[in-house]
Amino acid sequence: MDPRPRSFYVLATVFGLFLLFLYGPTLTIAILSFQGPNGGLTFPMRGVSLHWFRDLFQEQAVGDIWGGFRRSILLGLMVMVTTVVVSVMGGLAFRKRFVGAGVLFQLVIASLVIPSILVSLGVGLMFSQGGLGVHWATSGFGAQLTWTLPFGLLIMFAVFNRFDPAFEEAARDQGASPWQTIRHVVLPIIAPSLIGVALFGFTLSYDEFARTLLTAGSYNTLPLEIYGMTTNVTTPVIFALGTMTTVFSLIVIASFLLAVRVMDRRRARAGSDAGKGV
Amino acid sequence: MDRFLKSPNVTGWLLAAPLSVVLAVFLILPIILIVIVSFWTATEFSIVPAFSFENYRFLFGSAVTWSVFLNTFKYAVITWAITLGLGFTIAYFLAFHVRSQGWQTALFLLCTIPFWTSNIIRMISWIPFLGRNGIANSTLISWGVIDAPLEWLLFSDFSVILAFVHLYTLFMVVPIFNTMMRIDRSLLEAANDAGASGFQTLVNVILPLTKSGIMIGSIFVVTLVMGDFITVRFMSGSQSANVGRLISNDIALLQYPSAAATAVVLLATVLITIGVLLRLVDIRKEL
Amino acid sequence: MSKMRYSRRSLLKGGAAAFAASALPAPMIWAQEIKDVTLRQFGTGVSNLNEVAQKVKEDLGFTLEMTALDSDAVTQRAATQPDSFDIADIEYWICKKVWPTGNLQAMDTSKILNYDKIVGIFRNGKLTPDSVIAQGTAPHSVGFTSGPGGTDFVAEESGWMTLIPTIYNADTLGIRPDLIGRPIDTWAELLNPEFKGKASILDISSIGIMDMAMVCEAMGEIAYGDKGNMTTEEIDKTFAIFTEAKKAGQFRAFWKTFDESVNLMASGEVVIQSMWSPAITAVKSQGIPCVYQPLKEGYRSWGGGIGLSKNLSGIALDAAYEYINWYLSGWVGGFLMRQGYYSAVPETSKEFMSADEWGYWFEGKPAAGDILSPTGQKLAGAGDLRDGGAFGDRMGKVACWNAVMDENQYMVRKWNEFIAA
Repeated sequence: MDPRPRSFYVLATVFGLFLLFLYGPTLTIAILSFQGPNGGLTFPMRGVSLHWFRDLFQEQAVGDIWGGFRRSILLGLMVMVTTVVVSVMGGLAFRKRFVGAGVLFQLVIASLVIPSILVSLGVGLMFSQGGLGVHWATSGFGAQLTWTLPFGLLIMFAVFNRFDPAFEEAARDQGASPWQTIRHVVLPIIAPSLIGVALFGFTLSYDEFARTLLTAGSYNTLPLEIYGMTTNVTTPVIFALGTMTTVFSLIVIASFLLAVRVMDRRRARAGSDAGKGV
Repeated sequence: MDRFLKSPNVTGWLLAAPLSVVLAVFLILPIILIVIVSFWTATEFSIVPAFSFENYRFLFGSAVTWSVFLNTFKYAVITWAITLGLGFTIAYFLAFHVRSQGWQTALFLLCTIPFWTSNIIRMISWIPFLGRNGIANSTLISWGVIDAPLEWLLFSDFSVILAFVHLYTLFMVVPIFNTMMRIDRSLLEAANDAGASGFQTLVNVILPLTKSGIMIGSIFVVTLVMGDFITVRFMSGSQSANVGRLISNDIALLQYPSAAATAVVLLATVLITIGVLLRLVDIRKEL
Repeated sequence: MSKMRYSRRSLLKGGAAAFAASALPAPMIWAQEIKDVTLRQFGTGVSNLNEVAQKVKEDLGFTLEMTALDSDAVTQRAATQPDSFDIADIEYWICKKVWPTGNLQAMDTSKILNYDKIVGIFRNGKLTPDSVIAQGTAPHSVGFTSGPGGTDFVAEESGWMTLIPTIYNADTLGIRPDLIGRPIDTWAELLNPEFKGKASILDISSIGIMDMAMVCEAMGEIAYGDKGNMTTEEIDKTFAIFTEAKKAGQFRAFWKTFDESVNLMASGEVVIQSMWSPAITAVKSQGIPCVYQPLKEGYRSWGGGIGLSKNLSGIALDAAYEYINWYLSGWVGGFLMRQGYYSAVPETSKEFMSADEWGYWFEGKPAAGDILSPTGQKLAGAGDLRDGGAFGDRMGKVACWNAVMDENQYMVRKWNEFIAA
């Protein structure tokens, strides 16, 4: 191997500092969440304890963390499934040159760049003026889709740009119907990227604040609950919550990565079977 | 019938139908509504359907509006410049200096982990760090670098931009890294063989080839910063304003029509900015 | 079923004690039914405490869901989302904005068992018969409506209340005596350049403007006709003074909820600011000195109450009345008074407080032993006095109430400009 050029070390230092910068707040939160029972939101540490984690599992003076958590997970899953299905369909649609595709694409980009507070305001207004109640599962759900769908679709574009149409042609030549081609050829090939779309859909929804702010109605999602806590809580319990949500997110990522792995392995096995047949 | 179903227009629209419906209901309709409401007037507690330019007249008539828009641009430009410099460097390091793919993935994931903590919590955790008696100040004082705490570390433009850079650099890193990974390595070798220095390769080969990634990243950062309303509130201690805060303040005070008018102007500004950026790159091809 | 319900309701109307009624066999069934009732209450973090909901479950059997929001969000929800709540826990100035929308229903005072014991401030505006009513939106002026279905306000005790008063207090500036080191006795100190970069004011327009007015008046810069109902010229002048101070760097930050003010004060970012009573309590319970400084110009006061959604009816409405009667029966009052607020029916709260607590918080007497916060931290020791003294001294020196003025929309726009300036 070549010796590392000097620029490597310079850049590695920059990268290291960047990581430090990125992790600074996360670590601050992690450390402060272990404050002693009399500690405050700031340093110095007054003892080390699990007090605030225990506190997290008890009822707070105001708010309902676990209800928010439950709703956020549910909403995240709803958004995730919808995003995967709709983006795959959209991705397939854009491979055909249909009239109006350009306009629809512009709209997708618009959806991506429109400030979140506008969507929140507009959807909130629409539901309240239309006499429909705002609720996280209806207006909140829709408002979040305007953010996750463009992401999902862009990932699908990236996937299909690298997709070799020869596979489909082969399937067609074998007499497969369009549906069979999609079901048995296209979907299995793009499956790992779908996990990426799902991961994006879930986490973008799980952490979305602005779009749900005016569209959630009576019951808060977790980010709204946390926002409420920043203004209503004066103890490190909020940092304990931050640490918990980070750990939870890591578990989610790990399980997604595991799913990709399992899928790859299964595919590898299926692939090796092919040669051994007959 | 069969031919009808095989037409790309029909299948295309059928497949795109769910997407179109979602965008129509949750994007187009609300925006139309915002535009309509921006011409309405409001009383203390409700909005009154009417047709009036009053909201716009007030908006454009107020010197504060102009300074707030200017401030919004200021945040966007500074944040963009910093995230671009930082993001490009990080992506360059990951793409060209880290040699094994395993390491690349590992380091890349390492960059993303902090993004799984709630934005708001990450934001407020800067406060114990930057405050008057925070870690930064007490460290600097104990090192003897400064005598008195630096006041501008928190509740200032500095802290706002720091938080923006912290929140959004990854949005720059990802697309740039993505395009860098697609650069054919033989091009770099060719440049090397032709006697180009590392710097010349960077400027004349890599930079042009990562243009699309830079554009996509820029679009993300610029729109996120321009539409933000919460970072500015937290990090400036409510002392500075951007357009998003103007809107959210109006909403909080039930002045929906006035909020809608500001929103319409913001929307136009963002769309024009992005329109210009999109002129420079074809997103669909470059992904 | 409904018959039994009505028979019980008429019992209530007849003034029979609620708890005696539940001993009868027929309402036993009703009591089962009421357990299934869920009431959704929202309000500010000040009084939307989960401990209250727990106690409701214990004492009354039904479920109360609490959502805590900041004042602006509270106003917004009360005015625009009537379907999202059953009980609104709002302030009187918010009531002035929200009541005309018709989202709330008038409450029959004959069903309120302790109505006669509610302090005068909420009934005829007078603490004592010879008190002068302060400027601003005094609670009694928006406390009554003409009848069921009314969306107006009437001056006299009509028997139909818009809000049932729950808590109130007299607000002033909070200071860090350890960091200031000299006596503070006037609102004008908020803009004293000595505290440059160490002052704060709250970012809630209807309340903040009153604090500003107290300051401008104390500085002798503006003589207001009525602070609670300023002219556009007075509004302009007030904002000019504060915008100048803001640009000169007088303020460290603005806060929106009382907990933010706690963090600002406790961390030493700010040494003088507008503050609410429980915030002082919270700072003190962290062992940091903090004083709710009585000032010579008097207090800025506020009152909160609970209103019922127009959508409430049947058993849920009965449950809501039961909740209101319970609210005024003392436990909540004692709980809130221990944080420095006052209860609308002080005499019932007395039974839920120790003699020492009552003496310290209400009568302004020196504490005999340690005074603890509701969460058990020590707030004061033997011999300590409450800042500002007794109930009569504090509520008797109210200079103005939080208000919504005629020129409110103009003020709101100016406020928005001030925040953005």
